[in-house]
Amino acid sequence: MERIPILKMGRVLLVTIQVDMHDRLAMTLQDDLTERIVQDRAHGVLIDISSLEIVDSFMGRMIANIAGMARVLDAETVVVGMRPAVAITLVELGMTLSGVKTALNMDTAMAMLMASFADKEHFNGGSQG
Amino acid sequence: MSYSITTVTIQYEHDVVLARQRARQIAALLGFDNQDQTRLATAVSELARNAFAYAGAGKVEFQIEGRAAPQLFLVRISDDGPGIANLKEILDGRYHSQTGMGLGIIGARRLVDRCDIHSTSGQGTTILLKKILPRQAAPVTNLSLRSIVERLAQQQPQGPLQEIQQQNQELVRALAELRERQDELAHVNRELEDTNCGVMALYAELDEKASHLRRADEMKSRFLSNMSHEFRTPVNSILALSALLLERADGELTGEQEKQVGFIRKGGEALAELVNDLLDLAKIEAGKVEIRSVEFEASNLFSALRGMLRPLLISQTVRLVFDKPTGIPLLYADEGKLSQILRNFISNALKFTERGVIRVTATLNEADQMVTFAVSDSGPGIAPEDQSRIFEEFVQLDNPAHRNIKGTGLGLPLCRQLASLLDGTIGLVSAVGVGSTFSVTVPIYYTRRPPAVSANHQDLSEPDEDLTGAGRYLSEQRPNKDEAIKRTRVLIIDDEPAARYVITRLLKDQPCQFDEVDNGADGMRLMRETQPNLVILDLNMPDLSGYQVLDRIKANPATRDIPVVVVTSAVITDQERLQLEGQTCAIMNKSDLSPECIGRLLGTVLHANAESQ
Repeated sequence: MERIPILKMGRVLLVTIQVDMHDRLAMTLQDDLTERIVQDRAHGVLIDISSLEIVDSFMGRMIANIAGMARVLDAETVVVGMRPAVAITLVELGMTLSGVKTALNMDTAMAMLMASFADKEHFNGGSQG
Repeated sequence: MSYSITTVTIQYEHDVVLARQRARQIAALLGFDNQDQTRLATAVSELARNAFAYAGAGKVEFQIEGRAAPQLFLVRISDDGPGIANLKEILDGRYHSQTGMGLGIIGARRLVDRCDIHSTSGQGTTILLKKILPRQAAPVTNLSLRSIVERLAQQQPQGPLQEIQQQNQELVRALAELRERQDELAHVNRELEDTNCGVMALYAELDEKASHLRRADEMKSRFLSNMSHEFRTPVNSILALSALLLERADGELTGEQEKQVGFIRKGGEALAELVNDLLDLAKIEAGKVEIRSVEFEASNLFSALRGMLRPLLISQTVRLVFDKPTGIPLLYADEGKLSQILRNFISNALKFTERGVIRVTATLNEADQMVTFAVSDSGPGIAPEDQSRIFEEFVQLDNPAHRNIKGTGLGLPLCRQLASLLDGTIGLVSAVGVGSTFSVTVPIYYTRRPPAVSANHQDLSEPDEDLTGAGRYLSEQRPNKDEAIKRTRVLIIDDEPAARYVITRLLKDQPCQFDEVDNGADGMRLMRETQPNLVILDLNMPDLSGYQVLDRIKANPATRDIPVVVVTSAVITDQERLQLEGQTCAIMNKSDLSPECIGRLLGTVLHANAESQ
């Protein structure tokens, strides 16, 4: 059965979507990812959609869902490399992807996540001290 | 006017992806910019997903509308699903689907220039998406369209999934075919089963028929056996009475009377022969015949046969020749039965041969350890079609040469049965007008059953031996004759009046007093009352049989010592004979009764009796 691979990089899970996913594959990815967040105790998820030329309402909602679930599981989600045409189309469709952080490239995305982790640790340490 | 570019069928989930990829490729080929390609592909994706999700299947057609600018890119997405029930609600943005947040149709509408939706409840949905071709793009003509289609074909996305799908479909087809084949097989199987059942039923029927036939055959044998016994009694009476008449026992006969009685006697003899043959056949078929093997020389057998058959040779034109058997070893077989077969052959040959030679030969087949006895005649011969028939019971050939000769039609069947009892076979070689050769081939050493019969129990067919018991007395006793006979009282127990009459007539010269009873019970009573000197007892009687009467006589001290002579027309087996010999002083066959032998017997028995008293 085909699957989108999920890589672990420290406390971050890295997903690069390189194929045009059909709906079931998207759902499978959603399930796999939530499971891996728990299993690997990840605190961040990077989803690279730079190869995708189309993101329709279903996929958009799937991305929003992943972000929401990850947040509940104490992980931050950043969507990386959305193409301008895709972004415009999503907005025209009426999808806002509210609550989903985006970044133009990997470096920015990693920096965002690291900053977020630092904030969290600081917050946690402060509460203890 | 419109040009059709291509059609994508939506059947599987993956076809949704294929449709949107196609939309994007076509849009690119038509000159739409990147943004519009994404818009069109996204709109097609939304609507194709709806068709797949709500109708289960559908199709996406890509067309160009109009021949001259401004031309329209037209995408028709249609399905045969239930239709969109709440179209107005959706278009007003008040509907929220679970999968696409209610954005599918509204979003798609926003992404194209024009969107027409036709949906009827229960009759499916058709959505037309239209987008004006970009102004800078060259107008689409037949020619350019063809190149677009060709390039699309090159871009045919043939991912592993498609291949798997295709293979899957092929598998499904193969599976369906297999199932069909299986159904066919099952059908054939059922038919075979039915046929099998039929065959089984037929088989059972045949089996039943066979057992019916077997039963019928057994019935026939039993009937033959019983009837022959029944026939014997009257035939014996006829023979005995006619003999009495011919012996002038009741005074002189006139010439005519003698002739008539002679005819009666001849008829009786023929009847007796027929009955004996029938009885032999019935006995063989009932498996009651015992083989009594003895060692003998073939030459001895021939000389006995010569002596026996010489009297039959009445014609001067026929010679009976026995070739001297040479090189034949000592045989171990039932000489009586073998002799019976050869007698039959020879008497047949004598009957049918008018002139010429009847030759009897014996040849040894060393390889098989068999001896073949053959009887060749120069008679009329037997046609090939009749050669197997003559071994069937009661068959007599109906041709001029045979017409004036009478027989029972049982001789050859009897021979065949006897030969097979001896582990041998019967052979026949015959040509019409030349003659026939009947042969019997038997093993030199008969091994099937060892001879278990002691020497002094002889076959009933040899008449002189019936008086063995009496003979014993005769040779041992020389007593005073007259005294004993004077007070002789003879009790005859026989249900047959003719038989009783014959016995009394046979003994009429003896100084005896006869008491006659027709049943065993009366006989017992009379025996106790009169204490007879001799009891003549029949075996086959209604109510009490002769065996039962004998048992009672011997069980009672008052009658135990009275001598008993058994006179019967039944054929007695060796076992019965053994049983009887302990209890009686003689066993006689009714067909062999004569004044001499019965007188001799009486004298012997009574003298013995007198002495013991």
